Amino acid sequence: MRKKASKSVQLVLISSVLASCAQAPQSTADQQRVYMRADSTAAYTEVTDNYNQQRHSSGGMGSAFLWFMAFRHLGGGLGYANNSLHPQSVAGANARKASAFQAQRAGFGRSAVSNPSSSYGS
Amino acid sequence: MQLKKVSIDPNWKSRLESIGYGYHSLDDVPYWVDDRYYEITAGEADSIYQATADLWQMCLKAVEHVIQHKLYHLFHIPAFMVHHIERSWEKDEPSIYGRFDFAYDSQSRKLKMLEFNADTPTSLFESGIVQWYWKNHYFSETTDQYNSIHEQLIQSWRALIPYLKGEILYFSCAKETLEDLTNVEYLRDTAIQAGIQTELIYMDDIGWDGRAFVDLEGYEIQTIFKLYPWEWMVKEEFGNDIVHDINEAQWIEPSWKMLLSNKAILPILWELFPHHPNLLKAYFNEPKGMRHFVRKPILSREGANIEMFYDKEMIYATDGVYGEEGYICQELATLHREETGFSVIGSWIIGQEACGISFRESDMPITTDQSRFIPHIIKN
Repeated sequence: MRKKASKSVQLVLISSVLASCAQAPQSTADQQRVYMRADSTAAYTEVTDNYNQQRHSSGGMGSAFLWFMAFRHLGGGLGYANNSLHPQSVAGANARKASAFQAQRAGFGRSAVSNPSSSYGS
Repeated sequence: MQLKKVSIDPNWKSRLESIGYGYHSLDDVPYWVDDRYYEITAGEADSIYQATADLWQMCLKAVEHVIQHKLYHLFHIPAFMVHHIERSWEKDEPSIYGRFDFAYDSQSRKLKMLEFNADTPTSLFESGIVQWYWKNHYFSETTDQYNSIHEQLIQSWRALIPYLKGEILYFSCAKETLEDLTNVEYLRDTAIQAGIQTELIYMDDIGWDGRAFVDLEGYEIQTIFKLYPWEWMVKEEFGNDIVHDINEAQWIEPSWKMLLSNKAILPILWELFPHHPNLLKAYFNEPKGMRHFVRKPILSREGANIEMFYDKEMIYATDGVYGEEGYICQELATLHREETGFSVIGSWIIGQEACGISFRESDMPITTDQSRFIPHIIKN
């Protein structure tokens, strides 16, 4: 029977989740311009506006990459990653990445979008 | 079991945030209760442990019964998923966790199962980690807690390693939810500590290349933990692809858990184990002579669309979007009540082992997403 807890608990990932949410928002005046690409052989696309918009729409929390990725919306009709990365920045000469870009995305997750909630667990 | 009070730590929010717990409040209303706690006796912890262990075995027998008798229509399982469910059961595909919710009647000292959150239980991080740190902040080292969740998770992942397919275990949840992301990252953390190679991928980033599910780089997914309901997955665009996946990817929780997370399992359990001390009477569709009962949709989440009847009069109801698949009626349980609200006990089963509890308190006798988390200790 294992009822009682041990005396030491170590966590590897968790504090980074919240740390990525807890950074103070930058002022827009000295805001850093943000460029991204998903493949080292692809062209960069500037995503400063998206990045900044996401930061504000997620409760004023954080501007770290993890949070940006977590709160990045799909949709709009141009396909996967529409609001974040331009398709030309997703795959360059890397054949595997290019093939990954061909995969159909967003076939899961729509129920969450249509039932917004703080959690989809129970 | 007694509700007690401590002088609140004025820095409780920053203390919690320092351990990575960011959803302690919702719109400035605390979800985490820092200045009240339940003190339970070692005997009460034993009773919860035993009830959880017994019910887990009963649930496994109930799944076997449903599969043997092909009772899928009672659960509104899509026909295309039946073979997948049976295969995942026969192959004993990896499962990591579940949480029973209990009503505790302080007068009779009886524990009654309200439901089993078998597919997507949350509050794991606050149960396993946050309340442990809370105890260490307010109490001495000799004070104990019914909580070996963290060690049990690591041990369970370690035991699953020989049965996991592929080199990477993926972890997934929906976007835009800090609570789910924290729970998933906590689980991934324990898997890493067990020696498993992992990656995070959000549900809507999962790809389908026409033959298999793929990650963001096009690598095929062989095993994936998802904090996302099965009943949603099977209705979404990739739902049919689950059964056409050439890799037959392992989904954790496995698809047979669809039978246990569905409230249709409650009348099945009552039929198989009538008058078991930890069960409440439950029937499909009708109250069958019960005067005090709760009507629940077979598929609903966070206490939505629940109707509570006393003397056949409806006394409470919650709204929501569920119910089209049908209802069950369950005997009305007596909940533990304090001036601050009604409490339900969540009891974790991880890797086949009962290993910890949580308390959720609500203003009304239905637990919803507004219910507060209350930590506990075991009385010295």
